Amino acid sequence: MRILVLEDDNQLGPWVTSGLKEEGHVVDLFADGKEALMAAMGQEYDLLILDRMVPGLDGLAVLKSLRASKNTTPALFLTALGEVDARVEGFEAGGDDYLTKPFAFAELSARVNALGRRRDGAGAETGETTTLRYGDLSLDLVARHCERQGQTIELMAKEFKLLEYFMRRPGRLVTRTMLLEQVWDMSFDPTTSVVETHISRLRTKVDKPFDGELIRTRRGEGYVFGK
Amino acid sequence: MSSENEPVKPSFNDLQTRRVNRFVTKQAYRLAKPFRWLLRSSTLRLTLMLSCLFAIGMAVSIFLALTFGREAVLERVDTALTSLASTVTINETLSDNSIAIIRPLDNLGNLPNQFKRTVKRGGGTVNLSNDFNQFDAWRVMITNDSQGTPILVALPIEDSEDALDLLSGILWTTAGLVLVISLLIGMTAGLLAQRRLVRINGALSRLATGDLSARTGVDKASDDLDDLARQLDVTAAELERLVTQTRHLSASIAHDLRTPLARLRAQLEMLPEGEERGAALEEASRLSGIFDTIMRVARIEAAQGEDGFEQIKLSEFLTDIEDIFGPVVEDAGKILVLENKSTGYVTADRQMLIQAVANLIQNAIVHGGDEITLFAKTHRSIEELGVFDNGNGVPSDQYDEIIKPMVRLDSARQTDGSGLGLALVRAVADRHRAQLQLSEGEPHGLRATMKFST
Repeated sequence: MRILVLEDDNQLGPWVTSGLKEEGHVVDLFADGKEALMAAMGQEYDLLILDRMVPGLDGLAVLKSLRASKNTTPALFLTALGEVDARVEGFEAGGDDYLTKPFAFAELSARVNALGRRRDGAGAETGETTTLRYGDLSLDLVARHCERQGQTIELMAKEFKLLEYFMRRPGRLVTRTMLLEQVWDMSFDPTTSVVETHISRLRTKVDKPFDGELIRTRRGEGYVFGK
Repeated sequence: MSSENEPVKPSFNDLQTRRVNRFVTKQAYRLAKPFRWLLRSSTLRLTLMLSCLFAIGMAVSIFLALTFGREAVLERVDTALTSLASTVTINETLSDNSIAIIRPLDNLGNLPNQFKRTVKRGGGTVNLSNDFNQFDAWRVMITNDSQGTPILVALPIEDSEDALDLLSGILWTTAGLVLVISLLIGMTAGLLAQRRLVRINGALSRLATGDLSARTGVDKASDDLDDLARQLDVTAAELERLVTQTRHLSASIAHDLRTPLARLRAQLEMLPEGEERGAALEEASRLSGIFDTIMRVARIEAAQGEDGFEQIKLSEFLTDIEDIFGPVVEDAGKILVLENKSTGYVTADRQMLIQAVANLIQNAIVHGGDEITLFAKTHRSIEELGVFDNGNGVPSDQYDEIIKPMVRLDSARQTDGSGLGLALVRAVADRHRAQLQLSEGEPHGLRATMKFST
């Protein structure tokens, strides 16, 4: 994807840029709102990553101008504000997603990919397939049946949802925040070990009785399924 | 041809009458409604009270004045009669003079019967239905003439009676007029005050619901109510300024803190993988987690209105909570019990409610006993939602303390936590106009209840 990044912080900007480049995207970094707006007007991007507070013209104003000129490129706001009001403002200005600083790169990456898929008119995630497979593990989404090495595994509703989420993202880092938002529909950290508890139960059922660990913890970052 | 058992159906007329009655009652109520404020107006109440006092005072003084006035008149007439009698001598030629009646007792002649009756009583006042000698009110006295012959002397007192009647008429009319005028003045004053009070009340209730731009708009200052209104406006303006300032401040604090945190995170993520990197990332997460919680408490406390509120059935909410947190409690080696006695709904922000209950459960996991009970119940129009445990509880004199942000009792210092748990619960409760109540569990432990009035 061709991505425009508007971020004035001289550490975060290059960090985001190099991370996205490593994932194979083409990235243009701008530290000034006006320049970013000119660039976005001048050429087609697949995604805009805009910081809310930058000199010149802030991200919100940039997107408003773009949307006013019928530009529909998906946009993700980065913000240090994080207030719900600011979030709502972002969506009202035509933003498609919102990420609060500080964030893990994995999270930015996940959201970037999700927006990219949306642009491709996808739904690739919910796709035709009704059974997810990874190695000797299979998850039938319709029959709500899970088995590994031919052995049926009984899963609770939340565990099922959790495993489905992992199996759709093999080899990718999944953070606590992503799980809370996607599996539990919580936009806040409940300060209890909800995620840890459910992961550990899922492991007991899916990993422990078999050879080959599927769900691994990346300390301080999150979890990775597979590989 | 109707059998006797058939229930008596109300006739059309009955129904019509009932309907009309109901209509009239309703209309009367509707018409009276705009006037009900009148009784609530303190100015008018004061006027009514003073008017009552005035009316009673006037009535008493008019009554006394008339009574004493009449007695004084009669006394004077009696003196005149005595002196008259002492100067005359009864003989055949004597007849009534132009005013007085003088008769020997044994020959009352053509005097009306009332006079004779008064003679038997030994004298007094005679009120006639028909004039006698042009007068209908007479004072009669039985006495002796200069010769000692018993005689009747009488003088008309109609003029003084008339004068007294006139006096009482004037007094009553004046009193009535004063009453009506003072009531009218009271009503006008009440109306004028009420208008401003309505504005003041309106502004206050808008302020209470979070509209900090509410003002009374009173700019002249002619009396104490205007002063009050103006003072209210000044206070509201200051409040609005402070709240706006705080919002900007918290936004810039958030920005100033989150940006370096983001840099820290970025730098840590760039380190080579390993145990230390993980530990550092974990610590960074915890740091931003605490910061997020502080910001969240501040945000909930500052938020207003009911955006994002929905009707939540507490019994279902409780089951959802059990699904989410039951395993967490279990893994901590404790039991989560459900006590679901609620039949009602609360209007609330679901996310916030989950957050609050999560904090209560977390508190109970860390500080409480091995059995944690999640309860909801309906008590009249109050919906209760809360958590209690069977642990050691908290001394009741420290309840106020532990609700404050960052306060952790000494006994809790060794355990993990930010000290923001109950502050957040209270913020959520306040946001929903619910009451957070801490109490002693049965038989021991801490019981935290959020009481929603529905």
